[in-house]
Amino acid sequence: MALSARGHEEAFAELYDLTSQRIYGIILRVLRSPDHAAEVMQEVYVEVWRQSARYSPGRGSVIAWLTTMAHRRAVDRVRSVSSEVARDERYAFHRSDREIDQVWDGVEQRLDVERVRRGMASLTPIQREALTLAYFGGYTQSQVAQLLKLPLGTVKTRIRDGLIGLRDALGVEA
Amino acid sequence: MSEIHGAVGSYVVNGLDPDELDQFEAHLAVCPTCTREVKEFGETAAELSLLASVTPPPAELRGSILAAISQVRPMPPEPPPEVAHVEAQAPSAAPAPQRPLDELAQRRQQRRTRILSVLVAAVMAAALALGGVVYGLVQSRQAQVAQQEAATELLTAPDVQTYSTTMKDGGQISFVVSKSLDRAMFIGKDLPAVGDDKRYQLWTLEGQRAIPDNLVAGGGDRQQFFREALSGVTGLAVSVEAAGGAQQPTPSTIQAVTEL
Repeated sequence: MALSARGHEEAFAELYDLTSQRIYGIILRVLRSPDHAAEVMQEVYVEVWRQSARYSPGRGSVIAWLTTMAHRRAVDRVRSVSSEVARDERYAFHRSDREIDQVWDGVEQRLDVERVRRGMASLTPIQREALTLAYFGGYTQSQVAQLLKLPLGTVKTRIRDGLIGLRDALGVEA
Repeated sequence: MSEIHGAVGSYVVNGLDPDELDQFEAHLAVCPTCTREVKEFGETAAELSLLASVTPPPAELRGSILAAISQVRPMPPEPPPEVAHVEAQAPSAAPAPQRPLDELAQRRQQRRTRILSVLVAAVMAAALALGGVVYGLVQSRQAQVAQQEAATELLTAPDVQTYSTTMKDGGQISFVVSKSLDRAMFIGKDLPAVGDDKRYQLWTLEGQRAIPDNLVAGGGDRQQFFREALSGVTGLAVSVEAAGGAQQPTPSTIQAVTEL
């Protein structure tokens, strides 16, 4: 019994090692606070442990399951502490596409990152900006609409179109 | 297309406001199109998240998470597993040798272990499909937390600029520069080894003057901030010097010069 429990924990440790940098990356990007990010990481992985037997491949890949859970919790945290965390909305708003592209250029030139970056580059500027603010900025669609000074309906459409464009550019299969 | 379908993108990036979220989830339960899009966009968003993974988590977090899970009981798979079934039968099966609870618990453990192994295998397969990236990320060195935060701040600065170049010895490097933060960072990817007694030395250039800056070991992936602030700096350079560093760059060992 002890042995099998240990095997279980080892498998989990392996899962952590394989995914933690990616999951931490998105949590930190949304929260911009290492203290909050560490807490949310802990929440996410404890939840993964609790729900591991309930993961079903039919609902998507493991990494999508983890990323979705991590992003949701990071965004929840941002919204619950937004008064504590200094989040300069203008900062995100004023970054031009060119600058956003350069951010990605600065990230190590890994093949897959390059692929995603190219996918993002294939979107229209508004699609890209709306998707970036919503996903990496953790803003609600109404906040994105305010930041971009666009009607809510337009933002909604651009976010969805952005995901469609990126999905097609990446050849994502569900 | 009804308007509610249009919310599927915002739903996947967790951008719906609470009232609309309830509305959309009610719709999602009965809409196969949206269900399919949620799944596809979920995979797409997972790929998008790769653009954020510049920072390894703090090393101590691993231990803290592993300690935490050892105190938490995993939920059983859905639907409720054989446990209920066996327990319900237990009274009538009383004359038979008692089914030890330990054995039952052990079987459940083993089952969970198998499920987790499947998860790990699935992630590994995905990693291989991505060219070993995830695996590579795991292998990447754990840098100091403070440096990571500063690096993230720099990489996401509004005016960040990246100058990538190939050094004379073939090493691929980038200088990441933000004038508003007044900082610059050197990033070396898979740097050539320079020997134990040598280091890459960074330089800031002010016109004809070279000001010695931080040292970087050869070999592997390296990130190093410049010590000097950027005001007045017209260029950045890197050379190979003795391990203690030099006051002037040795002309023959200058590896790269980038004008800002």
